[in-house]
Amino acid sequence: MNWLRRNGLRVVLLVLAALAAFPWMDYLPIGAWVPETEKAILPRLSPLLNLFGALAAREWVGWSLLLGVPLLVLSFFKGRYFCWRMCPMGFVAELTGKLNPWGKGLLRRVPSINKAMALLIVVSAAFGYPLAIWLDPLCIFNGFFAAWRLPLAWASGATAVGFVSILLLSLIAPNIWCHRLCPLGGLQEAIMSWAKRFHGPKGGKKQDAPKVLSGVVSRRTLLAAVPVAVASGIVKKAVGANAAGGIRPPGADLTRFNALCARCGNCMTACTYKLIHPDFGETGVDGLFSPVIHLRSTCGDPDMDSYCFHDCVKCSQVCPTGALKPLTVLQKHATPIGVAVIDRTKCIAWKSSELPKGDAGRSDCAVCDEYCPYKAVRIEIRNGVSCPVIVEDKCRGCGACEAGCAADPIAVRIRPLRADEYGKKLLPSEIDSPEKALRGEYENDAAAETSVVEEAK
Amino acid sequence: MKTIQRRSFIKTGATAVAAGALAAAVPSVAEAAETKSKVVVVKGTDIPKMIAAGIEKMGGWGKFIKEGSKVALKPNLAWKSKPEEGGNTHPDIVREVVLAAEKAKAKQIVIPENTCESERETFPASGILEALKGTKAKIYRPKGGDYMEVEVPKGKVCKKARVTRDLVEADCLINMPVAKHHSGATVTISMKNWMGAINNSSRQGWHRDGLHQCIADFSTYLKPSLVIVDATRILLERGPRGPGKLDHPHEIIFSTDPVAADAYAASLFVGKIKGVKKPTDIPHIKLAQELGVGCAELDKLEIVRVEV
Repeated sequence: MNWLRRNGLRVVLLVLAALAAFPWMDYLPIGAWVPETEKAILPRLSPLLNLFGALAAREWVGWSLLLGVPLLVLSFFKGRYFCWRMCPMGFVAELTGKLNPWGKGLLRRVPSINKAMALLIVVSAAFGYPLAIWLDPLCIFNGFFAAWRLPLAWASGATAVGFVSILLLSLIAPNIWCHRLCPLGGLQEAIMSWAKRFHGPKGGKKQDAPKVLSGVVSRRTLLAAVPVAVASGIVKKAVGANAAGGIRPPGADLTRFNALCARCGNCMTACTYKLIHPDFGETGVDGLFSPVIHLRSTCGDPDMDSYCFHDCVKCSQVCPTGALKPLTVLQKHATPIGVAVIDRTKCIAWKSSELPKGDAGRSDCAVCDEYCPYKAVRIEIRNGVSCPVIVEDKCRGCGACEAGCAADPIAVRIRPLRADEYGKKLLPSEIDSPEKALRGEYENDAAAETSVVEEAK
Repeated sequence: MKTIQRRSFIKTGATAVAAGALAAAVPSVAEAAETKSKVVVVKGTDIPKMIAAGIEKMGGWGKFIKEGSKVALKPNLAWKSKPEEGGNTHPDIVREVVLAAEKAKAKQIVIPENTCESERETFPASGILEALKGTKAKIYRPKGGDYMEVEVPKGKVCKKARVTRDLVEADCLINMPVAKHHSGATVTISMKNWMGAINNSSRQGWHRDGLHQCIADFSTYLKPSLVIVDATRILLERGPRGPGKLDHPHEIIFSTDPVAADAYAASLFVGKIKGVKKPTDIPHIKLAQELGVGCAELDKLEIVRVEV
C-alpha cells in the first residue's frame, strides 16, 4: 500500500504515456478525431528533442515548441522531480532493476556522464548538427510502443531497440541509466545546480553568487563545449554528404537528417500507406534505424500498390525534432523526395516503338502518365507509340508511376535525391495554389506538350 | 429479360463450354443483328428526374431489378476527384440507382470498385460515402479473396482475368461509368470501366498485352444488365485523373448494349479530342463491335432523346 501511495503518480503517468505512444490509429479509427500533431505529444515533452531539435533544425515547428518548456521550468524549481516521480522510462528501468539477481555490484565504477551527454546534445544542436539526440528517454520510450504498428514485422522493431537496451542494462546494473547516463536527467541536473544560485533547496539559503560568466555557464562547461562543437562539425562533414542514400520522407533536410532524426518511429506509425521503414544500412552507419521510404512496398495491403500520396503530409506533422519539416499540402506538392527514372529497355511503350507498325507485340501503355499526380510525364510519339518521358523539374518522386507501371519487371523506378539536388526544387515561389501545382501550371507548360518524333525508318 | 438468366448462366457457363451459352443467355448480342440497339439519352440538370425519365424509356426498373435479387453497381471511382471535376461517376446518380434498387426490394446492393488511388482517398473525395448514407448499399475495394478467376472464351488476347466475385454473381449488374478523356485508352466509358472490376495484376497485364484489344475481349465476357453513362460533365483533357478542361453535355445515357452506349458517349468527344472524328476511331469500341458485343454505328442505333 505504501508502495502504491509513493508510486501512484508514476503508475498513472506510465499508463498515460503508453497510451499516448501506442499507434492506436492502426487498430482503432481514432485517427479521425486526433489531429496529427497531437499524436506525437510524448517525445515533444522532452526539451532535448523539442527545443534543441528545433534549434538544430533551425526550423519553426509551430507552437508545439512550447511543449518542451514545462520540464525545464519544473527542473528549475524541483530539480529532478520529473525523473524520480514522473518519467515513464525511468519508472520501467527502476522496476526492471529490482529483478537484478547479482546485487548492486556490477558496473559500479561507471562514471556519471549524464551531464556530459546533455552538454553534448545541447552544444552540438546549437551548432546545427546534434549528436546522440536519439538517447532521449521519452523518445526511446515512445519508440518501443511505436514498434507495435500494423503490420507487425521484425524490421519495425528497430525503434524498440533503445528501450530493450535500457531494460537489459538496468537488469545488470540497476539505476545506472537514470543516475549516470540519461541525457535528459543530466540536463535537469545541470539546471538544478544552476537554479541553486537563485533559491536554495526547499526554501533554504541561496548559494554564493556565481563565480564565472554571470552563472549561465561555468568555465569548465565552456571549455568542454569547444570539442563538442568541433566534433559536431567533423561528424557533419564526414557523414552529412552521404546522407542521401535512401528516399526520405517528405520535408527531410537531407544534409542533416541522420543527426536530427531521433528514431522515435512516429513518422513510420503515421504513414497511411506504411511506406516508411527503419533503415538497415541503406543510408550508412549513421543512418541506422532512420526512416526511409520503400515505395511499392505494399505493406499492409498486398492488393494496393502504394505511393507517397500527394495530398498526405502526416509523417511531417508528427516529427518531434523538426528532422521532417511540418509541411502543408501545398508545400508537399512542391517537395521532391526522389526522381523517377524510366528504363527504356523495360518500358512497354519504348519497347513497342522499336517494333514495326502493325506488329502484334506493340502496345500503348503510358500508365505512368495516367497515375502521375504532378503531370510530370511528357508523351513523346515515337513510331506511332506514346512513349513516356519524365520531366524532372515537375517530378516529386512520389512513386505513383512506379505503383501503376504495368511492365514486368517494373520499368520506372524512383531514385533518391542526390545531395546536390536537395533543396533546389523545394518550394518554388511561383506556386500560389495547390490546384495549380497539381496541374503543373506554375512551370513552363510547353514542356508538357506531346511531341511527335517520327523515326526515319 | 437478362436479369433472371445472369446468375444461372454464370454458374453453369463458367464450368460448361461457354461460347454457345453466352449468345443464348444474353439476347442483346444475338438480337443486335436483327433489332436495333436502343440508346436513351436524357438531357437535364436534375439528376433524380433524369434517371427516372431514362429508366422509364428503358422499360422501368422492374425489367432490371427483381425482388430479392442481388444488385451490383460499378461506378467509376478510381481517383481522388471531386464530383464537379468529372474524374468519377457523379455520386447522385449512384444514389438514385441505389434508392431505386431498395424500392424494388433488392436483397443486396454491392458496389465493388478497384480504385487506382487508395479508396481511403477516392471514396470520401468522390462524395460517394456521403451519397450512400442511410442506404443499405455496401461499397468496398475488393481484396485477394474477393476476386475469382474467370475464362474469357471469346477473347483474342485476354483469355483469363481475375474479376470481382460480386460483379460476376450479381443478378443485376449495372455498369455506371463516367465518360472522360483517357491518356491510354483515348476515352473511358463503360467497357474501359471494367478495369476497375479486375484485380491489379490483370489490369497491368492488359497494358502489357494491348489495352484496347483486352478491353474489347473482356466485354465479351462481362455483360451488364444495364449501362448508365454519366455525361453530365465530361473531362476533355488530362484524363483519367484530371483536373482539366470540362465540357457540360448535361446528359445521362442508358442502354443495354455497352458498345452502343460507349459509341454514343464517345460521339460527345468528337472534334474535342485529337484524332477522334467518329466513335469507331476509338480502337476498343471498334474492336468490341467486331467481336459482336454490340453496335457502334450511330446511324444503326435507335436513339431516344428525352429532355427533363
